[in-house]
Amino acid sequence: MKWNPVFRRELTVSSRSIRMAAVIFVFNSVLAVVALFNMYSMMEQVRATAEIQYSRFLDLYTFVSAVEFIMLMFIMPALTASCISGERERQTLELMLTTTMEPRQMVLGKLASSLTMMLVLAVSALPVLSLVFVYGGITVMDVALLFVCYGVVAVFTGGIGMFCSSFIRRSTIATVSTYAFLVLLVAGTYAVSLFAYRMDLNELNSYALALNASVREAGSGGFLYLLLLNPAVTFYGIINGQAGSGSIRSGLSQIFGAVPENWITDHWVFVSLALQLLCAAVFIAASIWLVTPIHRGRMRRFQEAVREPACRPAKAQ
Amino acid sequence: MLEIRELKKRYGNFQALDGLNLEIGERELFGFVGPNGAGKTTTLKILSGLLAPDGGTVRIDGLDVLDDSRRLKQRIGYVPDFFGVYDNLKVSEYMEFFASCYGIVGLSARRRSQALLEQVRLEDKADFFVDGLSRGMKQRLCLARALIHDPDLLILDEPASGLDPRTRAEFTALLRELREQGKTLIVSSHILSELTELCTSIGIIEQGRLVLQGSMEQIFERVNASNPLLISVFSNPEKALTILKSHPCVQTIAVRGDEIKLGFNGDRQDEAQLLQQLIDAGVMVSGFMREKGSLETLFMQITGQEEEKAVIRHEMESGI
Repeated sequence: MKWNPVFRRELTVSSRSIRMAAVIFVFNSVLAVVALFNMYSMMEQVRATAEIQYSRFLDLYTFVSAVEFIMLMFIMPALTASCISGERERQTLELMLTTTMEPRQMVLGKLASSLTMMLVLAVSALPVLSLVFVYGGITVMDVALLFVCYGVVAVFTGGIGMFCSSFIRRSTIATVSTYAFLVLLVAGTYAVSLFAYRMDLNELNSYALALNASVREAGSGGFLYLLLLNPAVTFYGIINGQAGSGSIRSGLSQIFGAVPENWITDHWVFVSLALQLLCAAVFIAASIWLVTPIHRGRMRRFQEAVREPACRPAKAQ
Repeated sequence: MLEIRELKKRYGNFQALDGLNLEIGERELFGFVGPNGAGKTTTLKILSGLLAPDGGTVRIDGLDVLDDSRRLKQRIGYVPDFFGVYDNLKVSEYMEFFASCYGIVGLSARRRSQALLEQVRLEDKADFFVDGLSRGMKQRLCLARALIHDPDLLILDEPASGLDPRTRAEFTALLRELREQGKTLIVSSHILSELTELCTSIGIIEQGRLVLQGSMEQIFERVNASNPLLISVFSNPEKALTILKSHPCVQTIAVRGDEIKLGFNGDRQDEAQLLQQLIDAGVMVSGFMREKGSLETLFMQITGQEEEKAVIRHEMESGI
């Protein structure tokens, strides 16, 4: 089997560096501390009230998986945002582009190495996460679904990182842009939906006052579907289904008002994961296109057509 | 081997290449010379498949650089004017990584890498980290990297810049060795004295156009033709001056002691005829030679002329 050269090189370099060991150590330390504090708080509550609330054991799962999710979401952009721009800065991208290796292999090799790092982190955190099996309430299938969510989020945020890294030449700016993009995606979609809900609520309140009658329930309308792109909402949907009320619709309706009943809201997690994978594919394809030095076929003809007027000499007066 | 026709490339308002025409034969060691911004690196990048031209064609052994880029990349080795190295990667790993980029893996990659490291005399550095190598060693490693897939054509952009004279001489010897192995080399450089000793042919590029191309013999013939003729007269200098003044090829005459310096616009046959004329007239000639010229002189003359032309063009256009 022929390995992707970039993937192989990245593995060699990262396994040799102290950075990987340090990231695994810090990542698991944070998770272990969160888990131990959670267990300590449960025990304290049992001591104080002499009551055992079994539902609180699920909080351990919620906390640990949430912390893991947040850390993964913040580590992946850091790993990918300097992938291509770093090669540019080291002036090694040009060298690779003069070889017979396809730009597709370069981008996918880089992404694969970052995803491998994430996989190592997620797998290394399994002992901490499996503490929840001591108390029960969570099945192996639940954990598997959680890992699917982690995987999709990693590919999605990694795709954004790769795109910024291919588009922006400087690694620092590419990293800042990736985080800005993620903040926009997580907080932005939330804020837009909430704003739409508030506006609708104000409008309905004034209308109801004028008519002195009750009208339909306020909601975010179509803006709610923007949340399908929000990885945090997807994660919330999964955790809510496993350790919460069970329905994401009820969870969303508490914040964004009326949530329409349709196929999308019925299969929110599946749709959002599929949509995020699709977006990741678009970002990765765009990265490959940006890395390719010479574009063939239609795109080249388009480039030539664009350039032609600029290159044409001015007519003599 | 290489044929460039009407190559054009523009960056915004700057015309980097303006109809460049160039032909390089097989097993040549071609020196690509020009002032900064003349279009050397742009041309080399187009040849290496890193840039698309705006117009014109580039063919290497009949294959178009745009249509057959993948096949051509297999036949071209590129050494840019920078090193491009990875931290935390050893010399052997660096070589094997680039071998795998060409699909050469496993034992064959290892053997090829070892052979090339021996050729560039870095075999004892195989387990060293690339980042810790000296500048000269990095440059030799870059050359070995570019040879990993055994290309027919090697493109080197300013390979000797920043190297000390000893390392430069070693590097030059390596390039000669490669030519003897049957490879075609294109070397862009500012160090013209080095190209004089190294190259079999040369091309001078100025403002995106090739202003002079030819074999080293042709180039030096031209260099010599533009240099003054030095005549040392042992006796009868008045007679010699009378002959020289009436000669149609003589443009200027300067006398210093018994040495006469002529601006002489003629070829070797004209020179021989003039010498014969002087001897027949009874002038005792103790020395008769063209002042030795260099590539630097020619380069300065050509690029200087172009600058003058550009100034004149600008003055005419602006009505000064």
